[in-house]
Amino acid sequence: MKPPAVGYARAGDVQEAVGLLAEHGTDSKVLAGGQSLVPLLSFRLARPSVLVDVNPIGDLAYIREDDGALVIGATTRQRDVELSPVVAEAVPMLPEALRHVGHVTNRNRGTVGGSVAHADSAAELPTVVTCLGGEIVVEGPRGRRTIAAEDYFTGTFTTATEYDELLTAVRFPRLPAGTGVAVEELARRHGDFAIVAAFAAVHLGPDGTVDLVRLGLSGVDSVPRRLHEAEAALLGTRPTAEAITAAAATAPNTIRPSSDVHAPAGYRREMAELLIRRAITTASERSEVTT
Amino acid sequence: MTIAEPVQNPSRYTGSPIRRTEDPRLLAGRGQYVDDVTVPKMIEAAVLRSPLAHARITGIDVSRARELPGVFDVLVGEELAAVAGPQPVIWTPITDQRIARTRALAVDRVRWVGQAVAAVAAVDRYVAEDALELIEVDYEPLPVVADLDAALAPDAPTLYDDWPDNVTGSQTYRAGEPEEAFDSADVVVSGSFTHGRAFGCPLEPRGCIVNWDAFENTLDLWLSTQSPNLARDLLSEVFGVPVHKIRVRTPNLGGGFGNKFDFYGEEVIAAVLSHRTGRPVKLIEDRSDSFVATSHSRDQRLDFEMALRRDGTIVGLRGVSYGVLGGAFGTVGSGPPWASVLTSMGPYKIPNLDLTVTPVLTNRAPYGSYRGWGAPKGNIVHERLIEFAARELGMDRTEIRRKNFVPPEEFPYFSGAAFTYDSGRYADCLDLALAKVQELGWPQQQERARAEGRSVGIGYSFHIEPSAYGPSRIMNLVGLAHSGFDEAVVRMDSVGKITIYSGQINMGQGTHTIYAQLAADTLGVPMDDIVVVTGDTDSCPYTGYGTGGSRAAPLGGAAILRASGRLRAKILRVAAELLEASADDLEIENGKISVKGAPGHSVSTRDVGDAAYRRLLDRLPENEMPTLEEVDVFDPPNMATSYGCTALLVEVDRGTGRVTLLDCVQAHDCGTVINPMLVDGQLAGGLAQALGGALLEELVYDEEAQLRTASFMDYLLPTALDIPPFHFVHQETPAPDIPGGIKGVGEAGTIAGVSLVASAIDDALSDLGVAVTRFPVTPPRLVELIRDAEQRKEGAQ
Repeated sequence: MKPPAVGYARAGDVQEAVGLLAEHGTDSKVLAGGQSLVPLLSFRLARPSVLVDVNPIGDLAYIREDDGALVIGATTRQRDVELSPVVAEAVPMLPEALRHVGHVTNRNRGTVGGSVAHADSAAELPTVVTCLGGEIVVEGPRGRRTIAAEDYFTGTFTTATEYDELLTAVRFPRLPAGTGVAVEELARRHGDFAIVAAFAAVHLGPDGTVDLVRLGLSGVDSVPRRLHEAEAALLGTRPTAEAITAAAATAPNTIRPSSDVHAPAGYRREMAELLIRRAITTASERSEVTT
Repeated sequence: MTIAEPVQNPSRYTGSPIRRTEDPRLLAGRGQYVDDVTVPKMIEAAVLRSPLAHARITGIDVSRARELPGVFDVLVGEELAAVAGPQPVIWTPITDQRIARTRALAVDRVRWVGQAVAAVAAVDRYVAEDALELIEVDYEPLPVVADLDAALAPDAPTLYDDWPDNVTGSQTYRAGEPEEAFDSADVVVSGSFTHGRAFGCPLEPRGCIVNWDAFENTLDLWLSTQSPNLARDLLSEVFGVPVHKIRVRTPNLGGGFGNKFDFYGEEVIAAVLSHRTGRPVKLIEDRSDSFVATSHSRDQRLDFEMALRRDGTIVGLRGVSYGVLGGAFGTVGSGPPWASVLTSMGPYKIPNLDLTVTPVLTNRAPYGSYRGWGAPKGNIVHERLIEFAARELGMDRTEIRRKNFVPPEEFPYFSGAAFTYDSGRYADCLDLALAKVQELGWPQQQERARAEGRSVGIGYSFHIEPSAYGPSRIMNLVGLAHSGFDEAVVRMDSVGKITIYSGQINMGQGTHTIYAQLAADTLGVPMDDIVVVTGDTDSCPYTGYGTGGSRAAPLGGAAILRASGRLRAKILRVAAELLEASADDLEIENGKISVKGAPGHSVSTRDVGDAAYRRLLDRLPENEMPTLEEVDVFDPPNMATSYGCTALLVEVDRGTGRVTLLDCVQAHDCGTVINPMLVDGQLAGGLAQALGGALLEELVYDEEAQLRTASFMDYLLPTALDIPPFHFVHQETPAPDIPGGIKGVGEAGTIAGVSLVASAIDDALSDLGVAVTRFPVTPPRLVELIRDAEQRKEGAQ
């Protein structure tokens, strides 16, 4: 488990990083928190010729609000996001989800940008940004692009980023006050990748009906899944057990789970429906009717 | 866990929760493990492993690897076979069994994924691994035997061309009239129980440094092993180098769990590389290696049935234990599946037995030792079946156990198959556990949870742990090519301090601490005056077997007690001369020897040491040999059988099949408790491994016999978050055949814990009639059991 020899380059700023990526092409790999990349190097499964270390770029680690969105810089540590009062207020689903990401030691190193760019569909952050309708900001030689999360994740570990583009920030739409959020994760142990994880945000209008709902699933497809059909089924209804069950029942038709050593596809499909039902129920209970 | 505050200055060390003397160094990160050891001129090796489960090797080209700068040597199977014999197999309990032998490197055929095919020695491990990628091996794939059913199929491909099938042999143990018992029984319950593959997975993988000195023809090893004496004997067998020219040293061990009892090919590979390069060679197993190269275990199917009378009396047990072995025998062969059969009657009196073990080869990695050996699966047989019987007969689970226990007055009790249990108060131990469960309020918790619609269950497991393996001649009789005694040397030096030399290994159990406790009490000296030395075949005595089979406390302890007793007598004789008194009138306390009743009239152990080593004139009795040293060899007349009753509180999520462990109780009897804190540690660690094995850990092979769980991402060890609180209660019934009354405790938890989880899950789902028979109980598997049971229930309505 010793990695092969690999080149290493420190990027002082975004432009330098982009330049290094352009120079070394597809043989280069961005090193952020290293929580996924370093094991892949040691297993000799990833074999880049150059690591472009973006940790020295100081102004990529930030949490700020911008025009109704919460913007998190790419190298912001997951643990900083988890503990941020700004985040808890604006996008309470984030701290709730981050508690399921590995263990504290992983989150101390792991970055928001790294997790999103790694694009593991069983991970939590890609689904959070997808189901909330967030955006991914990338910069490259041709300038800056903002990509809707649902367009960003294109397949297993693949994204819409070009080889010479660097993910610089992730934008999460702010959730209105009173939104109830819930994350229901089924993993073999706490901190493991999810077999299935369900994410729900529910906001109730003055009449007690759902006026905003965001639903997502991890671990059930090659990409993180937002459940548009289930959202549509709930919108405008009172979140009764029947309504929630009916909405959750649409989930299995919109996902394509696969089998692995931890669970067969059929089990994942069944759990997707169960967990999203539980997540919607909890999120509804936690939501406060705003007048 | 209930841990008493450590006592620092007790009047008697034995029985006190003394802090481990080993810990400060280890906790400070200053332990020295094999990978911390460097030897001058040392180079490092790495092993190329087969990517296929079954294939012929038609060619190996190592030329590019040899050319890589920094590479010293590349070794292939034919070259190794020219200088090294086959890997030894020390357990052959089955008459006329076919033994599948292998070499440390495959010669012309591979039979499991991960089998060693070639090795590189280089300036460092990085270069060695780079060189592995340059070796080209041509494989011609052969049909794969991926699992037990595939191996037993009538038209199964065979792993060995000269074998008629893949069955290595069979052995049946019979007692009484089993056919008659089953024919006339009121009730027969049965089950086909499957335990998946698992392994001990010590956090420090295996490793060695071997220096083969061509001038002296000596082999000098640093080896992460539980059995340095065995390793030395087996190296001698493999290479024909006499034992006195082989030295094995063992530094700190980061866990062994039986896995490091076995003797591995890597030791042999490193030795050959050292011989060829003239350099000391370090070969460390990394984590990836360890999943395929360290002994796998547990993999077994047990088809058993139990016959009972309507009142719950067990009248018979019969069945077959299939051991799902790998592509070649490991060091202990089919020992563990065999031991499952011998423990399948557990603590119960079963007069009629018909028990068969049938170990079978598959294209999986070799099978070997793991804490508990066969006993966890023997426990599954008797504990699952007795609960099935209770259900069938409408009896209370604990009452049916109580009814069938071997009563205290019937010991020593011959189990009907090889073992004789020495002593036990089983019903008392059961009551201790039940009382603790009541005290903790579990039944009320269960009732409340059920009222809320939650599925909470209470499980029980009663286990026996045959420990102190074992009387040497009996061990030989049941097929072990090794002994079972233990030798200890206890020495007082010229300044009156004590050194104990033992052949046992300290791998985390705290043997150094308990040995010092035992010797300090026997000799009457402070523990601080004692040093314990282990892990060097040049300075430490021989032990039969090794540190396994829960031997270190009872057998190592007994030898130390007996040697210390004789040394004490000699100390008193020397002191008698110094004090001009009779030795019979003297006592030793805290290193001071005085005339009983006249404490002012005394000498110190320092005076005695001086009189025995340096200034002997007029001080050492004329008839005494100078020096103060005693040797003892203890070969036990019988094994010592520990036992315990374990209870577990769980919650099952019927939707997801997830099981949460809420609380755990173990009432336990290991005879004399030397150090309750360390006994608790053994119980807790063992239980954690069993709970992991019952719910999480599995080495999953697919239909091509590829290992699908070869990293910590997929092979799931339990963490502190997955383990419930533990409450331990001790009962002490001294072992009648072991000086000091000590029984072993190292494997208790692993034996009890697997059937325990099943019992608790069944109880949580008692309204459905779920019966868990397959381990680990993963969420998808449990959901399937729940769905099936729900359908059965609906169908019945």
